[in-house]
This record gives sequence, structure tokens and C-alpha cells, in this order.
Amino acid sequence: MKSISIAFIIFTLALLSFSTYQALVVAPTEATMGEVQRIFYYHVPSAWVAGLCFFVNFLASITYLINRKPNADAMAAASAEVGVVFCTIVLITGPIWARPVWGIWWTWDARLTTTLVLWLIYVSYLVLRRFAAGSQTQVLSAVLGIFGFVDVPIVYMSIRWFRTQHPSPVMGGGESSGLAPAMLQAFLWNLLAFTCLGVAFVMARYHLQKVENQVESEHAQLALQGGTR
Amino acid sequence: MTGAVALKVAYVVTWVVQLLYLRYLLGRYRRVRGEIKDLKRSS
Repeated sequence: MKSISIAFIIFTLALLSFSTYQALVVAPTEATMGEVQRIFYYHVPSAWVAGLCFFVNFLASITYLINRKPNADAMAAASAEVGVVFCTIVLITGPIWARPVWGIWWTWDARLTTTLVLWLIYVSYLVLRRFAAGSQTQVLSAVLGIFGFVDVPIVYMSIRWFRTQHPSPVMGGGESSGLAPAMLQAFLWNLLAFTCLGVAFVMARYHLQKVENQVESEHAQLALQGGTR
Repeated sequence: MTGAVALKVAYVVTWVVQLLYLRYLLGRYRRVRGEIKDLKRSS
């Protein structure tokens, strides 16, 4: 198992190097925006990984409420945390891209606002897990994870439902949408690389959570033995 | 801020956030490993 993990990490690092080369060198410069458009190759894959992580959190939360197994809770905690990391990247790179293109850092349009709300929901999820005490913490966070996920499809559909400052969908947005083949290739490499990075982070965090749970239960067992002596 | 500067800043920020998270994970791993050692010693 350990050798598979190491092989996957090496593969991910190689893929990240290659995808960065694709984004910065191979992909053609966009005619209207120029060099700054290359932020797209990090910004969109980060949003994709964040959405994927929140979906995993949603599934793990449902699983935990059904079977109450600690592994499902560990997966929910891991995916939410990694999702917040990638969502943070989206919320930082977005305004950096917006400033030279729109002339403003931020606007309260539907896409940007719902993404900020999504980030706040999952940050509050992590705060709940960190500071709530008692046996109901896992149940409460699972419920928050399920209801919080409602915002993910809203974020995705916001640029279809509302007129926004944020551009309309580049892919899957009708006949006028789409990418040039060289751009699409760079985008897909980055999407794959970021997905692998997200998977590596979630697996590492999941393993860590399981070890921490084990240590915690051993601590409790030792305290119990000390009390009965 | 010009487009080229914005591009560089965005890429640097992306990698800084990911490296900070990696550092946070490694720190937690180190702490748990220390706790496991303490547990073994006390049992």
C-alpha cells in the first residue's frame, strides 16, 4: 500500500510539472485578455476539485448518518478540508484575474457571491468539527455537510440562471461556447493533475484522521485503566 | 496590475496555498507520531 501511495505521489508531481508547462508554454495566448487568461488553467481545475471534494463530503455524510462508521466521518472531514483549500485558491485567483480584465477585484454577482457563501459554509463546517464538544459533533457536521452541499449546484448553475459579470460557461454552455484544441488540451492536463493532487491530499488527510481517532481511543482506554486501578 | 504580473501572482499564490496545506498535514503527522511513541512508552 505504501509503495502504491509513493508511486501515486511521484505520478502526481510529474503530472503537475507537465500540466504547468502545458498551461504556461504550450497553450496559445488568448486574443482578447492576453497572458492573464492562463490563470484559467489553475482557476477552473481548482473549482472542479473543490466541487468534487464537497460531493465526496456529501456522500460520506449520508453514509455516516446511515451506518455511524467512523471511517465515513473521517472521509467527510478529509474531503471538506481539502475542498476548502481548493475553494480558497478559487477565491484568491478569481479576483487576481478580474482586476486587469474587469478593472475591479470583486463584484457581488451570482457566481462570486454563491462561491463565497460555499466557502463560508465549509469553513463553518470545519470550525464546528474543531470546537464542538460531545458525541453529537459528527452527527451535526454530517447534517451540515448534507445541507451545505445544496450550494454546489447553485454555484454551478448561477452563470446559466443569472446575468453575471463572471463569463458564461466556456464548456457545456451551448453552441457559442468551447475552447480551441490547444487550449482544451492544456486545460484537460491541468484538470487531471489537479484532480490527482486533490485525491492525494484527501487520502493523506483521511489516513491522518483514522490514525488520530485510533490514538484518541487508546488515550481513553489508558485513562480508563488508570481510573480502575 | 498588468496581465503578466497578475498571472505570476496567481500562480505563486496557488502553490503557496497548497504548500502551506502540505506543511500543515506534515505537522499533524509529526504530532500524531509523537503521541503514538508516548502511548507505547506509557503502556
